[in-house]
Amino acid sequence: MKLLEVKDLHVSYADKGRIAVVLDNINLSVDHGSIMGIAGVSGAGKTTLLRTLNLLQRPDSGRVVFDGIDITTISSEKLRILRRRVGVIFQSYNLFRSKTVLRNIAFPLLVGGIAKKEALRKAREIAEELELTHRLNAYPSQLSGGEQQRVSIARAIVTNPKMILLDEPTSALDPVLTSRILRLIRRVNSEHGITVIVVTHDMDVVKRVCDEIAYLEKGKMIFCGPTHDYFSEHYLSITRDEHAAEQLSKAKQLLAKRDRSRLVRLVFWGEATVEPILWRCSSGLDVTINIIYGEIEDFKHGPFGTLLIGASGGDTDLFLDHLSENVYKMEVLDL
Amino acid sequence: MIPEITKATVESLYMIFVSGLLSIAIGMPLGILLYTFSISRRLTSIYRVMDVCVNIFRSIPFIILILLLIPVTRRVSGTIIGPNAAIFNLTVAAVPFFGRLTENALNTLPKGVSDSAQAMGVSYRQFVLMVLVPETLPEHILNASVLLINLVTYTAIAGAVGAGGLGQLAINYGYYRFQWDVVLYSVIILVLISQVIQLLGTRVAKILRK
Ligand SMILES: Nc1ncnc2c1ncn2[C@@H]1O[C@H](COP(=O)(O)OP(=O)(O)OP(=O)(O)O)[C@@H](O)[C@H]1O
Ligand SMILES: [Mg+2]
Repeated sequence: MKLLEVKDLHVSYADKGRIAVVLDNINLSVDHGSIMGIAGVSGAGKTTLLRTLNLLQRPDSGRVVFDGIDITTISSEKLRILRRRVGVIFQSYNLFRSKTVLRNIAFPLLVGGIAKKEALRKAREIAEELELTHRLNAYPSQLSGGEQQRVSIARAIVTNPKMILLDEPTSALDPVLTSRILRLIRRVNSEHGITVIVVTHDMDVVKRVCDEIAYLEKGKMIFCGPTHDYFSEHYLSITRDEHAAEQLSKAKQLLAKRDRSRLVRLVFWGEATVEPILWRCSSGLDVTINIIYGEIEDFKHGPFGTLLIGASGGDTDLFLDHLSENVYKMEVLDL
Repeated sequence: MIPEITKATVESLYMIFVSGLLSIAIGMPLGILLYTFSISRRLTSIYRVMDVCVNIFRSIPFIILILLLIPVTRRVSGTIIGPNAAIFNLTVAAVPFFGRLTENALNTLPKGVSDSAQAMGVSYRQFVLMVLVPETLPEHILNASVLLINLVTYTAIAGAVGAGGLGQLAINYGYYRFQWDVVLYSVIILVLISQVIQLLGTRVAKILRK
């Protein structure tokens, strides 16, 4: 069973008499213990989708099934209890300004009826894990942005929830803090076993932490699946990846002078990425291989590589046959 | 002369603080209800009715309100003159006022903070007592000082119709006997009371505002 399933979700806002459809037929499912990214450009509906997942936003229609329970049909009393098993980290952190760091972190425990002493002890423990011990008695207005964010993460995970929802956790951070927060997200996921859903417009964040990605465009979900599949499709579809399209048109100009050259785009994924596949597939085949562009990136589950090569002469066809069996995805373009 | 001024001052303070406390005790829950109904999706019609009632009460001039209330005041206080009758009138006038002030203060709670409390699964009671009121506390302190200062003025007006206190003293001696020095002392004491309330309110709010 999946931890979270979203079925045929529709959300619209009534804005000055007009109805604006913000989410159109969204289907989504998230495995226990995985990290799912919700990506898309500004205004695509990412935050709205995230808010719908614990019903801070009520959908017009559709179902949100959390841990086997359709939360759109349960009483508000039951919903309240269920929400305690989902931590939310808002983009603007939303800390309680009248409470100290310690009290902010302990708050969800107190709400859940845990005795004060025990709540404070647990809050201290989480604060230590997130390196906030020296700021326990400070008020939110006295903290840096990064510290406020860690408090809001501490507050979300202190109850040991099944799932946390993060809205744009890196948009206000510099590269160093971004790396730190991404490591923290992965640690929360692996050590506490908490399922994570993270909204971001930064594809780099998706590459580094997400198992799966749901990509939204104008309220519609145009992709939902494993991260490497998304980027592989993205790389191979010229219309979507401007960077790859530019590489290709340059390569075509460069190779135009050599006759009978074939242009090949390759996607590597996992261990194969670092193996000498070109060499292996071409051995004994007298093929001229011309490497034009290549890149390897570190994804959550290992390296992901893209390569653009020209191939000509000898048994090019046989070489391409071998190659297609050994790479993740391949596309041959005639000049 | 001095014993009379002292007696009037004590009467004024008594009326201001007792009606102040009563108005806060009743007006604050009223404000919380106004806020709750205004943000609720299903109960906005109740809000509209309450909103209109509060506005009507607030637009009746105090001196006219006292007249309109005479039968009720007689029932509640057994008399229509003296400090206790005045406290009833003052409270009736101040409750809607403080309710509105409270509602405005609660509206300063950022939507995101309220959302994050909801996302933690707070009950209505927990929301009001642990988030809504504590997060807006400095505003309520300032409101209380505004309320008390308004009551200083209202108490003086009530003095014109027999409430006692500094207002009545000033009218009796100044308006009827032309003893302007008594009027002057009354004014000075009233100004002092207002100043102290304002200073305290601002100071406390500043300490609470982190
Ligand atoms: N309360 C609201 N009332 C009316 N329209 C809204 C409301 N909230 C969001 N919208 C609209 O819904 C659309 C999606 O908004 P949403 O905040 O979900 O986008 P987003 O993908 O999170 O964007 P960003 O990356 O800028 O945060 C936008 O067009 C926005 O204007
Ligand atoms: Mg957003």
